[in-house]
Amino acid sequence: MFSGVKPDKKSKVKGITQLGSRSSSSSSSHSSNSNTTRSNSSSGSGGSSSSSSSNKGGGRKSHSGSSSGSSSGSGSPPAGTPPHTQMASHESLNSESKSSSLNSKLGHESGGSPSPPKSACSSTSTTSTDHHHTNHQVSHVLTATSKMTVRDGSRTLRPDEPPLVPGEQLEGTAREVTYLCPYVGPKKGTLSVTNYRLIFRSPETDPPFELEVPLGVVSRIEKVGGANTSRGENSYGIEIFCKDIRNLRFAHKQNDSQYSMHLKRDMNISVFRRYRVRHNFAGYGASQTSEENHSRRMVTEKLLHYAFPASHKLPFFAFGYCEQYPENGWSVYEPIAELKRQGLPTESWRITRINEQYELCETYPAVWAVPAAASDNDLRNVAAFRSRGRIPVLSWIHPESQATITRCAQPLVGVSGKRSRDDEAYIQHIMDANAQSHKIFIMDARPSVNAVANKAKGGGYESEDAYQNAEVQFLDIHNIHVMRESLRKLQEVCYPHIDNSHWLSNLEATHWLDHIRCVLSGALRIADKVESHKTSVVVHCSDGWDRTAQLTALSMLMLDGYYRTIPGFAVLLEKEWLSFGHKFAQRVGHGDDRHQDADRSPVFLQFVDCVWQILKQFPHAFQFTEDMLITILDHLYSCLFGTFLYNSERERIEKEVKTKTISLWSLILSNKADFENPLYSSNTKHHVLFPRTSMRHLCLWDKYYCRWNPSMRQQEPVHIRYKELLHVKEQLEKHVDELRKELAARQTHDSPRVASAIV
Amino acid sequence: MNSHRKSTPSARFTTYIDFEERPIDVPEETNVDEEKIEPQLLPGEIMIARANNVLKFAPLKANRTGISGTLFVTNFKVSFVTSLPVEAKEREMHSKSLQNRFLGVHDVCLSEVDMVNQFSEDNTKKKRLLYNAQMPPRLSGLQLVLKSLRVINFSFKFTPTGEDIRVAQALLHHAFPTSIDHLFLSCGYPPSSPGIPDFCRAVDWEHELQRTRCPNWRVSKHNEFFNLCASLPTVLVVPRDLLDAQLEQAAQHFQGTRPPVWCWGTPAGAALVRMAQISPSITDNNDNPVARVPVLALQAASGFLVGRTGWQWAERGLHLALEEGKPSRLSVSKSVGSNMKKRKVDEASQQQENRMMGLVHRCHPMRLQPKIFDLDQILPSLKEIQISYIKLRELHTPDDPTQFWEQDRHYFSRLESSRWLSHISKCLEVAQNAATAILHQNSSVILQDATGCDLSAVISSLVQLLLDPHMRTIRGFHCLIQKEWVALGHPFTKRLGHTRNQLEEQSPVWLLFLDCVYQVSLQHHTALEFTSEYLVALWHAAHCSLHSSFMFNSVNAKYSASDVLQRENPQQPIYLRPVWSWWAEDKSIIENEQNGSDEEPLDSKISAREAFLNVHYIQKLFKSLAISGAVRRISDPLSSAYHTWQHIDCLMGETRQLPYDPSTPIVPLQLDGSLRLDISLSNLRPWLGCFCAWLSEPAMLTLNDSESLLKDSSPASHHWSHIHEMYNTMKDLLSQSLANGAAQ
Repeated sequence: MFSGVKPDKKSKVKGITQLGSRSSSSSSSHSSNSNTTRSNSSSGSGGSSSSSSSNKGGGRKSHSGSSSGSSSGSGSPPAGTPPHTQMASHESLNSESKSSSLNSKLGHESGGSPSPPKSACSSTSTTSTDHHHTNHQVSHVLTATSKMTVRDGSRTLRPDEPPLVPGEQLEGTAREVTYLCPYVGPKKGTLSVTNYRLIFRSPETDPPFELEVPLGVVSRIEKVGGANTSRGENSYGIEIFCKDIRNLRFAHKQNDSQYSMHLKRDMNISVFRRYRVRHNFAGYGASQTSEENHSRRMVTEKLLHYAFPASHKLPFFAFGYCEQYPENGWSVYEPIAELKRQGLPTESWRITRINEQYELCETYPAVWAVPAAASDNDLRNVAAFRSRGRIPVLSWIHPESQATITRCAQPLVGVSGKRSRDDEAYIQHIMDANAQSHKIFIMDARPSVNAVANKAKGGGYESEDAYQNAEVQFLDIHNIHVMRESLRKLQEVCYPHIDNSHWLSNLEATHWLDHIRCVLSGALRIADKVESHKTSVVVHCSDGWDRTAQLTALSMLMLDGYYRTIPGFAVLLEKEWLSFGHKFAQRVGHGDDRHQDADRSPVFLQFVDCVWQILKQFPHAFQFTEDMLITILDHLYSCLFGTFLYNSERERIEKEVKTKTISLWSLILSNKADFENPLYSSNTKHHVLFPRTSMRHLCLWDKYYCRWNPSMRQQEPVHIRYKELLHVKEQLEKHVDELRKELAARQTHDSPRVASAIV
Repeated sequence: MNSHRKSTPSARFTTYIDFEERPIDVPEETNVDEEKIEPQLLPGEIMIARANNVLKFAPLKANRTGISGTLFVTNFKVSFVTSLPVEAKEREMHSKSLQNRFLGVHDVCLSEVDMVNQFSEDNTKKKRLLYNAQMPPRLSGLQLVLKSLRVINFSFKFTPTGEDIRVAQALLHHAFPTSIDHLFLSCGYPPSSPGIPDFCRAVDWEHELQRTRCPNWRVSKHNEFFNLCASLPTVLVVPRDLLDAQLEQAAQHFQGTRPPVWCWGTPAGAALVRMAQISPSITDNNDNPVARVPVLALQAASGFLVGRTGWQWAERGLHLALEEGKPSRLSVSKSVGSNMKKRKVDEASQQQENRMMGLVHRCHPMRLQPKIFDLDQILPSLKEIQISYIKLRELHTPDDPTQFWEQDRHYFSRLESSRWLSHISKCLEVAQNAATAILHQNSSVILQDATGCDLSAVISSLVQLLLDPHMRTIRGFHCLIQKEWVALGHPFTKRLGHTRNQLEEQSPVWLLFLDCVYQVSLQHHTALEFTSEYLVALWHAAHCSLHSSFMFNSVNAKYSASDVLQRENPQQPIYLRPVWSWWAEDKSIIENEQNGSDEEPLDSKISAREAFLNVHYIQKLFKSLAISGAVRRISDPLSSAYHTWQHIDCLMGETRQLPYDPSTPIVPLQLDGSLRLDISLSNLRPWLGCFCAWLSEPAMLTLNDSESLLKDSSPASHHWSHIHEMYNTMKDLLSQSLANGAAQ
């Protein structure tokens, strides 16, 4: 009976996941309600087994009926069910929920159905909404905690057979493991590891509790409790530190005494204690022929293996992932096409392939746009004077004023204050290419102290004496180490629990928003110079791949509406971040177990946060919603797609990423509808955004940073409400049309009589 | 009408300014045009002082960008008249204010002025000018800090000598009057009626009793001449079993002789009662706040933070005692409580308090014990609220961009240290607890605070907002405010500092309440019919003296002020206008009065209306119409669809002024859809729309106003366009079916 429900169920899962993330409640309600849920869910899925298109109407219809019923006539709600929970559920039932998190997204992809992803995605939460509703009330407690996908009881999956994405393989399963959820308490269940992710499922609750985490997000795995002999239910296990602001703790039951261990040998020995077993009870473990024991040990080993493939000489999962997408994301960005879109070549700017073999600068892309006045030889000379050969190259050109944003690395000035005539002339060429202004700004992203200090290391900044007509400004953005520390503090404040009494001052003490403000106002300053002063700007920091990428990409986002579309944003990331060599592999530490590597830093996360801040201030100006940003961030870590792997274009070519992996943009462009912002008005495309950058107008992106915390009440995004409005309107117009036709029919029916009476 | 003041150039004005007597030592302006510039005056409004060639500086703009004009001080407003165009921000704020009928874009009502600061010669230092300040020979500039957290700077650099001083003196004198009736309270024409009951008549309270169907309470008219209590209206709702004589006797023992009054209830019998503290005995008048500190500590230690909920009620035998009419038992248990409070009160007062509580108890049909919330102990004091507010004001009224950015760096921690949000959280928590007690335990709730008209008003209003869906509509919210704040006598004059006296009693309890409502609106998008912008407008409206609603300490004070004005000017009728008449006001009247102001076409009013109506609420209404069959029943007056449509029509219809139909009876109270709040501090948001309403971020750069710059648009604009389309579709259908019906 339920076999036909498969595709719909996935969408339901998504819907629930999102609903759950928004509301919290005491868990007391779920046991008492479970019966009704079950009956409802079976009837709901029974009803939805016909076809998804007919479901759409029916589901929505029944939803609007039920919602008005419970919002006006449901009587006083019982103590355990806060009314806002009900409300929240109504509000977004109809909305085509977007997968806002990796887990729900992946859960959805991995539904085990062979159906093409397109249809799976387009059938978002339009299935039987009654089903949602009841299901939600039961399950939101669980789903709220970690965005787990929750499957209802109607489908019986054997615990050791989780649905897998194409190319994924089950590597090991351990039973009787406890997941220590910081919000709803321990859950006992089965932990499976594949070559892509870990899956924990607990049948204790109905519907079962499920947690899926791609191993790519794992930053480090630590053994807990093995060293001391503390007693307690869950004192042994592992703690997994994730890159997406959460930690997961798995434990197993410790025996009351070591002697009783053998009595329960089938049940309670965990691989997570394998170190202890080896050290203290050498030989004892060997006597345990238990399958469980073996499987647990294997699971941990596999976990360590596949979480850090780079450290174990294994390929990233992206190379094994073989999902089919209708769109090919690798073709979204063509450097020449993008430069042509900007109007290049012009009489003052040319496109050069001087770096085709990545010889002049190995971290730069193959194709550059440079001032036409500079010869290839000039470029080589300039490269010698710029750190790592990263010479000033065009990022963006204003379509009217021809003012440009160019990016580069610091000049190699050094303590002695070296100069390069070629570099000075080159900057002059950039200025001359813009007839509107007789000045050029050099924006050094660093605090001036750092810029000066860099001179000791051979770097530095342009002196205004040497560069005629140039004004150097420092934007006071701190380096990657400061940012990493700030995020660490932020996680402490946000996860797992929030100290309410000092929330604001704790938040301020992380300086996270302060850094966001700096980056934003720096980008604003660049955009202002280009837009309002028609002056060209050269942007650099030390190496020109972290802060510079943030600044150029953000100012381009403010200046050019194209980058605020879904494909445009992909182009922006491909161009400013990926092709210009932001060291994703280093900064994220893909598949690398050196979690204390000083090169790691949340530079890209910070950029996406800035984008979110602008998006929040201009809700009509972006074609995408924050869900897309979250999806991008999730896949920044997941290693499911090849997009963010490796450090530079050159490395990606070497590893044949484009041919051997799938692009993240394939997923996004194939499921565009899921990420589209209904509030987007395309006439904002020709406008420039100047966001407000004072602290009071910045917010913590709680939907990202606090998403695991059910007590953090997230504001319902206005676009969800807008989608509901469109739906209501559609319904209403349908009814009105029906009535109109009826009226008209009655009139034509009546009119002959009237006419005949007159005649 | 205040024209009497014009007719008899009252001594009040001339005594201190010497306007007539002092020879004008500055030669008259050579520019003839200057003399023609006059502010628009309302009937009865008179000009007191003027200063030519004044520069007005937009807040946080560099001083260079001031606009030049003439500054007037009248007995109603500070008016700046200029021919230069108005800033977009000012225009927008003006269109969204409830006093745009009588104040121009550059005008500021005198009672809105919070502080007047004087700039030193070099503009580096500022000094606060009090109402009795000694004027220096020359003022370089004035800074007005308004109660709406707005800063306006005026420079007198080019002003003829003497005019600056006169304007400043007039301003200081009139902005801080000694008595409330010195304010400009009536502008000569009768306000249109919004149909909001004023809760000063018995019939309003009777309707409220009927609507809530709360049994065992009655309306007493014993306060007819304010003989019983000056801060209560002439009618009050008291336990049915309480005789008027007993009421009078009991009242004597409460502070301000204010007996406990019913303000809301449920059909199941749970009543919401507001009560003052019993007055300390005469021998113990030096009961100071310090004495309460150990009490608080003690209570905290013993876990009574929730208030005195019932602990002083001996569980056993209470029912018996009540049935047998033995209040003595009660008084025993109560006096235990008062020992805890360490507050000496005389025996008789104690007995009376117990007696009243006993009566509340007996009013409950199931004889459930009432819960008592001693708000003085569980909520911040008025003083603390004021201190918080002063910190907030400091944070939101920077003098210059440098200070703005300096404060902005530490905005969050400064906000936290103001404790404003934690006060909000406390209020919401207590309101939530009280609502839960009423809803789930069906017990009556007694809200007790010192005078029974401050924090109890906050909590009582919030409880009703949470429980009673009617209070979330515009009409209901007006009723709520009228009832809890205006009729039951929140001392607005004192708390908002409308007069120069009693400044130490200032405390923005009203703002605290509005901010609480704002948090409700944030957490429940669709629950309220009005937007947070309306709440901002209400806060600003509380400082305009022509809105009588928020000017007085009590109904009694309003009557006496009205009497004073009437006596001074017997020929003219005095009209004190409730703020609610903004909605009902016919624009044409004002335009005629103001000689047809050129600006402000009708669409600005419509946009203000849209800004005040919650589009998501209307969406919810349409959603209920989108159910199958609902549209079909829309013309059936018995169906709910019909009423929903009528409601939508009132909100959207352009012909209607009011967003509700005052002739429709209010439906009886349904206790469904109560709201639950998340009170944790991390889920409360600073109310930027209010605190930063006037505080636009200073431009760090020379951002131009280029065409290409995307202006902030209301996030709801898209919603509105669809809502309008839906409305028009429905209207077309109805007219079509009507025509059809007529044809048949």
